[in-house]
Amino acid sequence: MAGNIIKEITDGIYNLILGLAVTFKHLFKHAITLQYPTERWEMPERSRGTIVLLSDPETGRLNCTACLLCSKACPVAAISIERIKNPDTKKFEPQSFNIDTTICCYCGLCEQACNFTAIKLTGKYEFSASDKSKLLYDMGFLQEIGRDVKYEKREKTAAKKKAVAKAETGEDVGGAPVADAKAESSPGSGEAKKED
Amino acid sequence: MLELNVIFEAVHRWLEGILPQGLVTLISALGTGGIVLAFLSILALFLVWWERKVSAHMQQRLGPMRTGWHGVLQTIADGVKLVQKEDLIPSTADRPVYFWAPVICFVAAFMAYLVIPFGRGLIVQDLNIGILYIIAITTFTVVSLLMAGWGSNNKWALLGGMRSAAQIVSYEVPLTLSILGAVMLAETLSMVGIVQSQAGGFWNWLIFRQPIGFIVYYIAATAEANRTPFDIPEAEQELVAGFNVEYSGMKFAMFFLAEFVNMFTISAIAVTLFFGGWNAPHPIFNFVPSWIWFMGKSLVSVFILMWFRWTYPRIRVDQLMGFAWKFLLPLAFLNIILTGLGVLIFRN
Ligand code: SF4
Ligand code: SF4
Repeated sequence: MAGNIIKEITDGIYNLILGLAVTFKHLFKHAITLQYPTERWEMPERSRGTIVLLSDPETGRLNCTACLLCSKACPVAAISIERIKNPDTKKFEPQSFNIDTTICCYCGLCEQACNFTAIKLTGKYEFSASDKSKLLYDMGFLQEIGRDVKYEKREKTAAKKKAVAKAETGEDVGGAPVADAKAESSPGSGEAKKED
Repeated sequence: MLELNVIFEAVHRWLEGILPQGLVTLISALGTGGIVLAFLSILALFLVWWERKVSAHMQQRLGPMRTGWHGVLQTIADGVKLVQKEDLIPSTADRPVYFWAPVICFVAAFMAYLVIPFGRGLIVQDLNIGILYIIAITTFTVVSLLMAGWGSNNKWALLGGMRSAAQIVSYEVPLTLSILGAVMLAETLSMVGIVQSQAGGFWNWLIFRQPIGFIVYYIAATAEANRTPFDIPEAEQELVAGFNVEYSGMKFAMFFLAEFVNMFTISAIAVTLFFGGWNAPHPIFNFVPSWIWFMGKSLVSVFILMWFRWTYPRIRVDQLMGFAWKFLLPLAFLNIILTGLGVLIFRN
């Protein structure tokens, strides 16, 4: 009994000193605070921050072909695009391209859907505004903040080229795995065609 | 050579030469008060900043960094902010009680410095009952905390005030008893006398003859100043901020200032009683002015109090009471008995 009490007391004192030692050690450790406006995080390459529209570095024109795939992919319908046909080139061009960043959930699906590397989620932040309407980004603004974003134009992979070639010859439009498993995919695609 | 009392004495002599006696007494009284008040205010500003820095670095943060070099001016900026704040008085508050509580708290903390020897000859008034006076005057803190709790008419404040009354009254007992041992060895109640009895070298310091007394004193004093791990009167998580929850602006600043002044008082008393006061650890270090030794030792002690605060969690109310009455009090009595026996055997 008496031994227990003495052990409890010595244990207690030991633990008190242990606690002091831990805090004292931390006193000399390097502080992990970043002094924000003067020091900044290096944002990871694939971080999903503010959305930008990318332009061709040579011509300075938007990469976007107004195919509307991104606005269809968006789960919250944050993207609204109006397009017109350019009478000279007979190609579509976006006339207005608005992203409502107040409802955007930064899922990145628009970036995945785009076939022309025209829309990208970047590591940029610091776009807070005092007015909600300022968070509705229009085409000019999206292009402006995307000017200095480095990107690699997505090249068509061999598998995709194949798929494109197949699509042109009237067969299945799919990825590489479909091409590998022809026997299974062909009937499926046939049905899909019938339904169309 | 850098002793500060030389300067004060010179000024006093010069004043005596040009002014009548009564005026000199008045001026020196007001002047000393002003100097101590200014010193304490600057000290409190520094200690608040220091505590923030210590706590920040213990948690691997940086603490204030923007105002001045590593944020040294942060407390001044906060003070300016507090002065600008609206001085709210709750409509149901007991006005006189509410108003006087911070004043008493601050004055009690400030009055203790009447007898604290900052250096050789550097004491406002060397009362022959110095240590008794300090114990008496610092007890006023509990009155002010109770007044703040009662006057605010807020249940959290009242709980905080009640807790602080219970805590401080309990810890007052072992605190006083722990000091007795040192007083028995020094054979005087005067602060200067206690310091002089420890002159010569660090082996004469009372800590080596009063280790139990020192431990009891330090723990009880931490509780007296409401510092963590004994800060239940202002336990933020339970009582919002305890007794001072209704206070804003300058009144809050006075409570805050008093807390840090109290922290330094504890350290100053600990240094005076147990660590030789202004004496250098060895006579060969006597070329360093005595007030530097005193301030250095006190600041180390303040750092230890901060260190406690950022290491230990708060203890429960029942544990707090049990610790005071069941552990510290018997230990303090044991210390007195041992000291008495020691005096009896070695002196005679
Ligand atoms: S990141 Fe997601 S939510 Fe935002 S615009 Fe793109 S698809 Fe829509
Ligand atoms: S951003 Fe890409 S997916 Fe969206 S409309 Fe333009 S080209 Fe199509």
